[in-house]
Amino acid sequence: MQYSQKVLDHFMHPHNVGKMENPDAVATEGSPACGDQVTVYLKVDEDKHIIEDISFLSYGCASNIATASIITDLAKGKSLDEAKKISWRDAMEALDGLPPVKVHCSVLAADTLQTAISNYEIAHGLKEVPNFSKDTIVAELKKIIYPQVGEDIVSLKMVKYVGFADGEVLIDMNMMNFDQWRENVAEEIREHLEKYPEVKNIKINFP
Amino acid sequence: MKHGRIYLDNCVTTQPAPEVLQAMQPYFEEKFWVPGSFISTGETINDAIEVFANTVASAIWAKPSEIHFCSGGTLANNMAIKGLAAAYGKTGNHVIVSVVDYPDLLTNAAYLEKHGMEVTYLSADAQGFVNLAELKNAIRKDTFLFMTTAVNHVVGTIQPLAEIKAILDAADHKIYFHVDAGQAFGKIPLDVKELGIDTMAISAHKIHGPQGIGALYQNTGVKLGQTIHGVKRVDNLQTGGLNIALIAGFAKAVELAFTDFAATTKHLREISDYLLSSLENKIPEIELNGPRGAKRAPHNINVSIAYIEGEAITMMLDAKGITVATGSACASQGLKANYVLMAMGKNHVQAHGSMKFTVSKFTTKAQIDEVVTELAEISKELRARSPLYSATHKEK
Repeated sequence: MQYSQKVLDHFMHPHNVGKMENPDAVATEGSPACGDQVTVYLKVDEDKHIIEDISFLSYGCASNIATASIITDLAKGKSLDEAKKISWRDAMEALDGLPPVKVHCSVLAADTLQTAISNYEIAHGLKEVPNFSKDTIVAELKKIIYPQVGEDIVSLKMVKYVGFADGEVLIDMNMMNFDQWRENVAEEIREHLEKYPEVKNIKINFP
Repeated sequence: MKHGRIYLDNCVTTQPAPEVLQAMQPYFEEKFWVPGSFISTGETINDAIEVFANTVASAIWAKPSEIHFCSGGTLANNMAIKGLAAAYGKTGNHVIVSVVDYPDLLTNAAYLEKHGMEVTYLSADAQGFVNLAELKNAIRKDTFLFMTTAVNHVVGTIQPLAEIKAILDAADHKIYFHVDAGQAFGKIPLDVKELGIDTMAISAHKIHGPQGIGALYQNTGVKLGQTIHGVKRVDNLQTGGLNIALIAGFAKAVELAFTDFAATTKHLREISDYLLSSLENKIPEIELNGPRGAKRAPHNINVSIAYIEGEAITMMLDAKGITVATGSACASQGLKANYVLMAMGKNHVQAHGSMKFTVSKFTTKAQIDEVVTELAEISKELRARSPLYSATHKEK
């Protein structure tokens, strides 16, 4: 497995790293149990809604640090609306690609940026706290990467059914029992959904 | 780099000793023949193999006839485990192994399970010792095999082989005792007769011999079903040709390691003790994984560095010309934290931050000083980037 030179550069010499004093918004995503966690800090121009400054902290591997570094480069100086369009694919492209098993790092970095922006918007009355629904679940599932090929499980049609009722999430997966990534994907699904207070129980079925 | 690469991953493979290369040379250039009868080329190789088998046998108090050269530790483990199962096991029969054993043993156990045998996986304690109370309870009337890894490949824990043997002997029937000695051979004394070991796998390249050669010890009287069929050159357990030069190199490596065994292991112990105390003095908030002192193999130090992740550490050390290993999930192809550490009750953060250093006879204190200095710098740098560190260490 090889990292691109850009990944190595951003890992060895990350941009915008460090804790920010008095940020306008902050978000932390991931969990130490899953081996990676990213915090993004924002300073936002209140009138123009432009990201004036951004920084990050990362607990994780080389690609975790590199993807967080590039995402801050991509977002710096952008308006909130522009920054909301930055996806994990943009981060990956800017780094000249990532090995498939490391694509999830770029998702985490992009996700943390989006949560920080969302936190800012909610705090400044720019948007409402979104209601939890089936769409929220699907949006979360789109952030889960199948490590074998580096694509998300929804695009890969690995999710057959999503249901949500009375706090119980029901997900039917389309992954064979010899698939070595089943446990890994199930663990990620739980990690992504457990953070919502609306979710009381998660049931994941495999064929 | 100032003076070449510093290699501290000697549990995986070691640098061949110059004497080993010298010992192999004539068998590559001149005596490249295969064993045979009645003609001088074949007889020369027959005689040589006998001498080399004697050297290897004497290192473990075995007879030369009990040594089967083969292409390495994994093949030796396979020949023994599958061979014992073929000779003594039937469908439904029972095998015992532990969750912290080397993958060679665990994958073979899974293979036996798939073919209708039952396997009990013993747990391990926080230091990596196999749970002996569980072993006592696990033994059944139809248990025919217990296997263990003499020195744990991750944390260097030395399993109490004599105590294990006493438990196996207390059963009312024979339970075969297979030992993977990949990490133990050349590091701790292994008297196969005194320990009552039936089969044992050893490897040359872990003790400064060449890669691609190892041996299986098979106690006289123990039967092994044949797993690899073909033309017999050296051995009927691993059929086909065996590289005589590698066997010569293996024997030389054994001779070097065992001529003054006490001095060899004393050097390893001194270097790893020095490494551990330097790490503990220079890097705050680290913890040793596995036992401290005499119950740990002399070449292994495994520590968890809090708040940071192992793949990042190994890559930064690599950029400085230093090779070490980590148990982090991020560094594994399957994105799984090291199973031995997890089985010892460590959490994900401890496994992710785990670093394994394994030293050799070529490792010097000056190299250790350099590694610890670099690692202290890297830890500081990565901790400055870490949200876990930042959350628990408020800046002044």
